[in-house]
Amino acid sequence: MSYSTFSTSNHDATREPMFLGRSVNVARYDKQKYPIFEKLIEKQLSFFWRPEEVDLSTDRKDFMALPEHEQHIFLSNLKYQTLLDSVQGRSPNVAFLPIVSIPELETWFETWAFSETIHSRSYTHIIRNIVTEPSKVFDTIVTNPEIVERAESVTRLYDELIELVNVYTIHGEGKLTVDGKEIDATLYNIKTKLYLTLVSVNVLEAIRFYVSFACSFAFAERAVMEGNAKIIRLIARDEALHLTGTQHMINIMASGADDPDFKQIAIEQKEEVIKLFRDAAEQEKSWAEYLFSHGSMIGLNARILGDYVEYITNVRMKALGLEEIFENRANPLPWMNSWLVSDNVQVAPQESEISSYLVGQIDNEVGDEDFEGFDL
Amino acid sequence: MSGIPRIKVSNHHTFYYQYEFSLLDALEAQHIPATYNCRGGYCGCCKVRLLDGEVEPVQDALVDCAEDEVLTCCCRPKGHIEIEIPEEE
Repeated sequence: MSYSTFSTSNHDATREPMFLGRSVNVARYDKQKYPIFEKLIEKQLSFFWRPEEVDLSTDRKDFMALPEHEQHIFLSNLKYQTLLDSVQGRSPNVAFLPIVSIPELETWFETWAFSETIHSRSYTHIIRNIVTEPSKVFDTIVTNPEIVERAESVTRLYDELIELVNVYTIHGEGKLTVDGKEIDATLYNIKTKLYLTLVSVNVLEAIRFYVSFACSFAFAERAVMEGNAKIIRLIARDEALHLTGTQHMINIMASGADDPDFKQIAIEQKEEVIKLFRDAAEQEKSWAEYLFSHGSMIGLNARILGDYVEYITNVRMKALGLEEIFENRANPLPWMNSWLVSDNVQVAPQESEISSYLVGQIDNEVGDEDFEGFDL
Repeated sequence: MSGIPRIKVSNHHTFYYQYEFSLLDALEAQHIPATYNCRGGYCGCCKVRLLDGEVEPVQDALVDCAEDEVLTCCCRPKGHIEIEIPEEE
């Protein structure tokens, strides 16, 4: 099967499976096989924001005043977030678009990946605002062994799927040898890889990101780096939506209703899926050790963050109908909730600063002279 | 069914709905430990089992729910209901 940018066949996309059916023809959304993806697209569009809307001038001062080990925590965390979004800004498009078969899901991938590019832009905005030489931060992302190790496990399945799909689109289905390498491009194997890739994306967005969010919010809980937290809060809102999207795909697949092969694959790969979760949780725990290797910060240390990793892993596994792998515990970071609430809550904007209200309109510089007209 | 909806929560108390915005708000007003994150219908943290009765939506739920599951941030009771919230701790 070679990829066609516009399939002229007159087939009904609502009768196609989500993946590996016929290529999408008309991008139409009047009839949908899975309206949930359309809802996700609309929600994502309603969330649109730009990093420049958030003022970071006080963050620069806050950052300068942080002790060295806290600067290490902050910058390392930011570098990790930059890595994750560099991957997510492109990979869903490269990996999934060539094999997707229904228009609403195709558009969801594009909308999803686009929002990740906004996240990447906001890391540049943050770094440009808090350090004098942004290059010093960016250039060390791919030279930091801790981050590179993470990058490998985040991207491995994506890359393997992309390779299989490339071979499949050029040579068609079957086992063959390319450059002396045995490649199993049978449909069943591609589907298996696709299923595991979606799980690994879910792990990335549902666990890895949340560990990094916890660090960002921990600073703001102490009223430092609040501009950064405001941006991360917007990112967290997007990520919650993305992970709901991948959970939907995985659950639809595992039900077998979309393509019976996936029901079988979900059963066969159950152990592998659990292993993906377990490995990621262990990696995140050792990342926590690295973050706090030069010292802890008030409110957060390697142990508490490790407990949070276990807690959030359990929550995410339950959402996919899997058994929890860690001891059942209450959320060790209860204050995270107040950072994860979306703006749908009924609050009066003047009473609570909501992230869709403010933006770009606030002068953060307040000096003594501003109070000159006041008398007590 | 008429009258003020009654909400029975397994392992917690039963109370009358005070017409809060959502079932989640109603649970919180009763100090029943209900988990939540986004309150916008897309994180799935407030999912509970609806054992009896019916609810009506107050906002779109975007999370995959089984037949007998509802998101407390997205609905309010239509009549008397019974729910079970997942145990934490």
